[in-house]
Amino acid sequence: MKNVYLPITVDHIARVEGKGGVEIIVGDGGVKEVKLNIIEGPRFFEAITLGKKLDEALSVYPRICSFCSAAHKLTAVEAAEKAVGFTPREEIQALREVLYIGDMIESHALHLYLLVLPDYMGYSGPLHMIDEYKREIRIALDLKNLGSWMMDELGSRAIHQENAVLGGFGKLPDKSVIEKMKEKLKEALPKAEYTFELFTKLEQYEEVEGPIIHIAVKPRDEAYGIYGDYLKASDGVEFPSEEYREHIKEFVVEHSFAKHSVYREKPFMVGAISRLVNNSDLLYGRAKDLYEGHKDLLRDTNPFANNLAQALELVYFIERAIDLIDEALAKWPIRPRDTVEIRDGFGVSTTEAPRGVLVYALKVENGRVSYADIITPTAFNLAMMEEHVRMMAEKHYSDDPERLKYLTEMVVRAYDPCISCSVHVARL
Amino acid sequence: MMGEKIRIGFYALTSCYGCQLQFAMMDEILQLIPNVEVACWFMLERDSYEDEPVDIALIEGSVSTEEEIELVKKIRENARVVVAVGSCAVQGGVQSWEKDKPLEELWERVYGDAKVKFKPKMAEPVENYIKVDYKVYGCPPEKRDLLYTLGTLLIGSWPEDIDYPVCVECRLRGNTCVLLEKGEPCLGPITRAGCDARCPAYGIACIGCRGAIDYDVAWFDSLARVFKEKGLTKEDILERMRMFNAHNPKLEEMVNKIFGGVKE
Repeated sequence: MKNVYLPITVDHIARVEGKGGVEIIVGDGGVKEVKLNIIEGPRFFEAITLGKKLDEALSVYPRICSFCSAAHKLTAVEAAEKAVGFTPREEIQALREVLYIGDMIESHALHLYLLVLPDYMGYSGPLHMIDEYKREIRIALDLKNLGSWMMDELGSRAIHQENAVLGGFGKLPDKSVIEKMKEKLKEALPKAEYTFELFTKLEQYEEVEGPIIHIAVKPRDEAYGIYGDYLKASDGVEFPSEEYREHIKEFVVEHSFAKHSVYREKPFMVGAISRLVNNSDLLYGRAKDLYEGHKDLLRDTNPFANNLAQALELVYFIERAIDLIDEALAKWPIRPRDTVEIRDGFGVSTTEAPRGVLVYALKVENGRVSYADIITPTAFNLAMMEEHVRMMAEKHYSDDPERLKYLTEMVVRAYDPCISCSVHVARL
Repeated sequence: MMGEKIRIGFYALTSCYGCQLQFAMMDEILQLIPNVEVACWFMLERDSYEDEPVDIALIEGSVSTEEEIELVKKIRENARVVVAVGSCAVQGGVQSWEKDKPLEELWERVYGDAKVKFKPKMAEPVENYIKVDYKVYGCPPEKRDLLYTLGTLLIGSWPEDIDYPVCVECRLRGNTCVLLEKGEPCLGPITRAGCDARCPAYGIACIGCRGAIDYDVAWFDSLARVFKEKGLTKEDILERMRMFNAHNPKLEEMVNKIFGGVKE
């Protein structure tokens, strides 16, 4: 007789972006199967933008995800500019990175305080924490507001920025706004440091300890940053962004509208901790000190370290944005936009979205998109995430199912998955 | 509705989660929260239940799987008031851009011959399946749209639609006209106002993310004539107008008038 096992399921994981679930099947002697079900519908972004005018496609791509719409916009714009053979001026590049950092600050603050922290504080969600954790909620909103405001000013709004276009910006804010941005960033620094201190105290769950391959962008300009033209793996291998398909393979799994990816036949991780693992030597300022003092917690073997790594990045990117603003201010007044001639070509951009490596490969023919391949951080992470959920399940399958669900959800949350992003789709 | 707590639910279909994020990011939420009880809001609340009765159901996202058809029906049964939030829920979203292509073709291009165990379908607006009481427009909606809608519902009143185009706000703001003075394909003349002409204020053409003003008011034909004079082809014009209006029943018919292809 065939054994019938009832799955332990979380149909809809709360406090993540997008719709996904966990399904764990426990049988005689242990965990039989673990699946991350990605149930959000497919949106076919690559397919629907094929044959479309380049500028219209660039307006649609950020709609893949709201938590990282600036990341999508700026990566798509860079891929398009590479395709048509245009290189933006340094000051435009600096201001784009400031806009991108706005997204990083907002996204990390939301993830850490509103999505992750309630688990540790014993709440089902942040709305219940308002009375007891006033200070933390205030810091969360202040940091989030700062990031949103940076995106409002430089990108036209905090979600789906239209003011980042081929050749630069539609319009740039007044110099006084940029100076105010610098002041606000300085004021925010202690709040970011408080966040880091807070997260150093949280449980790391050794159940999921083990070797992890981390992949991150190799930053340009010898400073820990967002843009880069090479990818770097923690096994020491580096390769040009254009060669991503030779090193990373994508495939469809039947329980998910999002594809899985492997590097050299193995699952791998991307995200804040992967950036630190690969590029910590490029940190500077206060963030470098904090990193040196907490290396033991920021280790490469535990996905929960991603939370603390994000907190460290809040500190780092605030300082980085101040430096980039100084760089731009030195060249003020800045012409917002250059004319871009739309020629035929192919371009690949790899950047560090809040959740990790984001790849856009675009081919342009006759002013239209003739090939599009987008791989998002969550799609890269899904296979590894499933592995870590399995490790957690194997240690706790005989516990109370509610506790098992809670722990596995926490593993998923540590990755800060962006499920809408992952359901995007790439050509095979 | 004053005095007692109003039960609300925020439900997601297929979307980028931007409408919920916009809502979650409002500081004003701290003032609203004491007046409401959240029955369902997976993005922020683990204790969320999709099948509990609520006074106000806010739905974002387009209906993009067979499973989501069942979900919207269930939400409708359990809710006194249903609000469709954002361009996906109201107009089917950008994922409807190629709605006339067969689903199989899009699927094949993205997933090849692989199958998954869920049932995908072409994206559609929520009102194709259930009665929607109110709509909040935008991709994403402006914060004031959300505050206005929830605020009016919470005091027992009802939100009213804006029935004039982005151009009105653009003129009031004193922007250079992106369409007439810069020659760009701005959709401001047919797009529902409420964003304070955000993009034209940055010198960028409107892409119509708030959707067209009501079907009998939007002058797709008139704008198509202006675009045609600027050298755009019929297909160019339709593509641009469809980005956020793919399910609009009047769009093609009105554009066809300009190109002499009225179907009887």
